[in-house]
Amino acid sequence: MVTKTEETQLNRLENQVDNGGGGAWEYLCLVKKLKVRRPDKVLRHGLSILNDPKKRSALGPDVWTLYEQVSIAAMDCQCLDVAKDCIKVLQKQFPESKRVGRLEGILLEAKGLWAEAEKAYSSLLEDNPLDPVLHKRRVAIAKAQGNFPTAIEWLNKYLETFMADHDAWRELAEIYVSLQMYKQAAFCYEELILSQPTVPLYHLAYADVLYTLGGVENILLAKKYYASAIDLTGGKNTKALFGICLCSSAIAQLTKGRNKEDKESPELQSLAAAALEKDYKQRAPAKLLLLTSALKSLKTS
Amino acid sequence: MGLGFIVGVLGVSILAHAAYSTVQFRGLLKIMEEEFSNPPMNVVIELLLGLVLCMWAALIVPGKFLSIHPDSDENRMVSLPGNLDFMIFNHRAKVFRSEIDMKLKL
Repeated sequence: MVTKTEETQLNRLENQVDNGGGGAWEYLCLVKKLKVRRPDKVLRHGLSILNDPKKRSALGPDVWTLYEQVSIAAMDCQCLDVAKDCIKVLQKQFPESKRVGRLEGILLEAKGLWAEAEKAYSSLLEDNPLDPVLHKRRVAIAKAQGNFPTAIEWLNKYLETFMADHDAWRELAEIYVSLQMYKQAAFCYEELILSQPTVPLYHLAYADVLYTLGGVENILLAKKYYASAIDLTGGKNTKALFGICLCSSAIAQLTKGRNKEDKESPELQSLAAAALEKDYKQRAPAKLLLLTSALKSLKTS
Repeated sequence: MGLGFIVGVLGVSILAHAAYSTVQFRGLLKIMEEEFSNPPMNVVIELLLGLVLCMWAALIVPGKFLSIHPDSDENRMVSLPGNLDFMIFNHRAKVFRSEIDMKLKL
């Protein structure tokens, strides 16, 4: 999870490293810790450390994890030669390692040799049938080939064994959303909210899915989850504020004919709109006009 | 750290001194054969001073307080990590080769 402080720290370090200010190793450690995907930068700065014998020996045993990190970044940039060289170095150091075997499988994937990669993973799984990363890689192979039903099947099978793996739940939810299977995606997000109730982004994603599903009840529920996302972020999430406005106007539209008096907290929309206006005034004054007209059209419709 | 630690040591020693004074005072009372009702005023003041110093040091020395608010900058999630276990490689990098022309020197 990337918190606000960590994000600003990452951006500061990235700026510093890109402008030649040093601190490349700290930057690489932070990228690894936060699990963000910055392949080009990791490749450039990681290689500059690895190619400098003095810096490399200063790292001690940490150099091997750096080789791993750089090799994956190189595959992500399709610099397969670099990746191959990194893996070769690692193989020399750890001849029997499963972790290096996994890297070789990923290299096969990056080359697009799906069948070979699959075979490599199956042989690794025979030795260690409960390696979660290998199972996940098989899902990734199916996904990379565009074979979503198989990917879903693998993931479901994986989640039967590793039910607490929220990354896998999230992946499943995202696959379902990409296939427009919103009901299933909603289930996955419910699972995620249950396991990590303090992450506002899951509340937000769940609300998005509910809003997309439509229907008065779903939109009412979506509004509640947008509200909880606002609660958890202290109103600093613009998307959640917009969500409240959209949900309110959608509910007003859907219940227009009926004179059912289930208007709960009618001031919520105006409060969210006020917060949005304040935020825009502070951060993007040029777009304030655009926002006010959009909000007005929401209210009148 | 340095100042807080010294203050803490001072506070603990003041407390110890107050305890010692009380014991001595009780010994004195026993000789004079009087009842012990409460410790003398200067010991009470000493106790209070020691308490304040110890409390201040205990709040300062162990480290900074962390925020427990979910919406504070330290706790507020702004983005989810890239799901790296499921990363796939057929994206635009295949077409747009990166300009990095570096090789690993073996």
